[in-house]
Amino acid sequence: MLQIKPIISTLRHNKSGPLLLLLQIILSVAIVANASFIINERVQLMSRESGLVEDEVFDFTVYNFEEGVDYTAQNSRDMDIIRGLAGVKASTTSSMTPLSGGGWSSTFTYGQSEETAKDAPQAAIYYGDEQMVETLGVEMIAGRNFYQSEIESGHPNTANLAIVSQAFATVTWGDEPAVGQTIYAGGYGEQALKVIGVVKTLQGAWVNSSHLDNAIILNVELGLTSFNRFLVRAEPGLMTELKPQIIAALHKENKNRVIDGFTMITEHRKRVYRDHELMATVLSMMVILLLLITSLGLAGMVMFNIERRTKQIGTRRALGAKKRDIVSFFLVENYIICLTGGVIGALVAVQLGRQLMSVYSLPQLELIYPIATVVGLVVLTTVAVILPARKAAKISPAIATRSV
Amino acid sequence: MFFYYLDLAWRSIKKTPLLSLLMVLAISIGIGITITSLNIYQMANINPAGERSSQLYEVRLMSQGLDSWDEINPQITYQDSFNLRKSSIATRQSPMFRTGMAVQTDDDNFVPILEGARVADSDFFGLFSVEFLYGNSWGKQVDIDPAYQVVIREDLNKEVFGGENSVGRTIYLNQKPYQIVGVIKYWNPSPKYYDVNNGAFNDAERMFVPFSLAPIEEFESWGNNQSWKREDIVTYADRLASETHWNQYWVELNTPEQVKEYRLWLSNYIEQQKLIGRFEMPEAKADLSDVATWLKVNNVVPEDNKVLVGLSVLFLIVCLVNMLGLLLAKFLKRAPEVGVRRAIGASRAQIFAQHMVEVGVIGFFGGVIGLLWAWGSLSILSAHFKLEEALTQLGMSMWVLAPGVAIASALIAGLYPAWRICSTNPSVHLKSQ
Repeated sequence: MLQIKPIISTLRHNKSGPLLLLLQIILSVAIVANASFIINERVQLMSRESGLVEDEVFDFTVYNFEEGVDYTAQNSRDMDIIRGLAGVKASTTSSMTPLSGGGWSSTFTYGQSEETAKDAPQAAIYYGDEQMVETLGVEMIAGRNFYQSEIESGHPNTANLAIVSQAFATVTWGDEPAVGQTIYAGGYGEQALKVIGVVKTLQGAWVNSSHLDNAIILNVELGLTSFNRFLVRAEPGLMTELKPQIIAALHKENKNRVIDGFTMITEHRKRVYRDHELMATVLSMMVILLLLITSLGLAGMVMFNIERRTKQIGTRRALGAKKRDIVSFFLVENYIICLTGGVIGALVAVQLGRQLMSVYSLPQLELIYPIATVVGLVVLTTVAVILPARKAAKISPAIATRSV
Repeated sequence: MFFYYLDLAWRSIKKTPLLSLLMVLAISIGIGITITSLNIYQMANINPAGERSSQLYEVRLMSQGLDSWDEINPQITYQDSFNLRKSSIATRQSPMFRTGMAVQTDDDNFVPILEGARVADSDFFGLFSVEFLYGNSWGKQVDIDPAYQVVIREDLNKEVFGGENSVGRTIYLNQKPYQIVGVIKYWNPSPKYYDVNNGAFNDAERMFVPFSLAPIEEFESWGNNQSWKREDIVTYADRLASETHWNQYWVELNTPEQVKEYRLWLSNYIEQQKLIGRFEMPEAKADLSDVATWLKVNNVVPEDNKVLVGLSVLFLIVCLVNMLGLLLAKFLKRAPEVGVRRAIGASRAQIFAQHMVEVGVIGFFGGVIGLLWAWGSLSILSAHFKLEEALTQLGMSMWVLAPGVAIASALIAGLYPAWRICSTNPSVHLKSQ
């Protein structure tokens, strides 16, 4: 029915064209499978939740360059000024900004005794006050927030309370409730931090780190250096309006400082994921163009074959072949090439993926990608072949008798 | 004969406009993608030191203790910087690190700005061939006897002083008066090879202050501070005496003898430091990397870039195979016509040449259009991703490379079809007419 035998003998009779098509399909499958795998990996990286209300939060820094400034007192005066501005929902000083690519992180110790003490995983450390949770917009799922009276100021080593992200709690204590546990900054017994709350999701600053979801909020308003960072949550779109107001208000308080670096979390996100987005974009461009070229090439070859075989088609039609038979002849011919190429291409793709994994830090190619590519290619072949093949089917049987 | 073939090629292209368009499209897209990724790769891979590359060396010292870092660190400690300055073997040398200060002027209405600054010795400008617009570097004496002097860049000079010759005037850095001794021309090497800590494609600093001022002015470090042991660092003096790595050190060595001599000096230095209890590792050593090596050590070219270049070369091959198939189809269809030409006296070589010219023409168009694709995609990428301009400028070499690669690859793809067509027997095709 499918006339596979005559098709194969046609292919063998005229090797170079189909061979080239085969080569093209093998390479296309290898490239598309690997590229779409990388694209998907990057898209997944970028779609992870930060836990923040990203479009409402922005950060900025204040650099107090005057000599002899009491940074702690200055920061708390600044904090009052910022919170007094209309449009500011909440704000806090902070040691770092989520998704910004820079900040504080450390490992902690936990356990029942010095002998059984273990290292907790690396976590980002947000030093801030009772408005930190509200400013970031993170969701508390257990325990409570800091009370205002519990906030220390000045040096990081005054911290004694902690709110941890659920990811951190799970990695550290498993199914045990985190609230009520104690962790130590440094070795066992050094600077005890009591866990009083858990937030659902809070990411750190380094998106390529495997510890991105581990974060800890500690109860200190920092006043350590001339640099101070503020996080502000405002109504969406209000940053442009608030920026000059904040600068003016803080300069009015003390002129000798530089107030700069106003950045939305959404902008931080864009910047910190830029390389991944760039890679995904360029590769997507490549995949689309590659499929376009392959299908155009396929259509071109079929058109050419039809022109060359006009007489044969006419003869077959004269001998009783239906239009459907002609179309199916071309389809089957190209399916054979496409599937052969697809299988070899999938093997090449896996091999290429293995090379990429060993030379570069890419994860191993999942098999679903070459398979999906081959399926996609079969669909593409159908579309690319069916239009010219329909045209071929219209060739009149009379052609066969002409010019012989 | 070439022009006659050109004419024939043009006619043939016009005769099958759709097929020709398809071929030009295929090759141009292939070239476009390849040039785009190659350009980003090449721009990241550029060696901004040029011919000075093999004379400038970054010094690394394995000063860490036992059971700490396994490898030699890209930076060194302040105390090592201080000691290395005592050697007079190198033609020029400078320790350095990045800092920043608030800039103010005599003008009360000037809103203070926060500026990055490089702390270095006077040799810095000679080392990296930085040209001066006005004035000069601070004197060598200042490297020993600290003075409040500063060199600023042309564009900062424009912002602060309106672009006039500001040598001799005063600016305030963190409220201290500094005398401007020089204004350098715009200088922003990419990659920023002398210090890649804050990102290899970040902008260079626009202010330069003497290294000798660091202990007095207590310049904060704006770069990486790497420690391999826990030390109580409270005051700036603690930091200077600590084992923290936060300085970079560059030397200029012009001859192999000089390099050898300097290496010897460094190993003596390490031996001497071992005596006072530093450099605990048995394999403690010094390392000199010239600029090219230095860029490799720091992985300035991201891996993603290399993957992209590899995939896009494969992509170009697909485009060529695609074109090869189409060419074969096109040429074979024309076999009867070729049969006639052969019958009336054209030699095989002539037929071959005729078809290669046609392929070359298609390749040329493909290359030119491919260059447009590359230019377009680079501008879109740079606009959308705010990429550093340095990475998305279409390099001069690409303007030649793109059509060159296009024609060359088209010719390679055309070899087989052209050979097939010129080797067919004319009589076969004549018969069927």
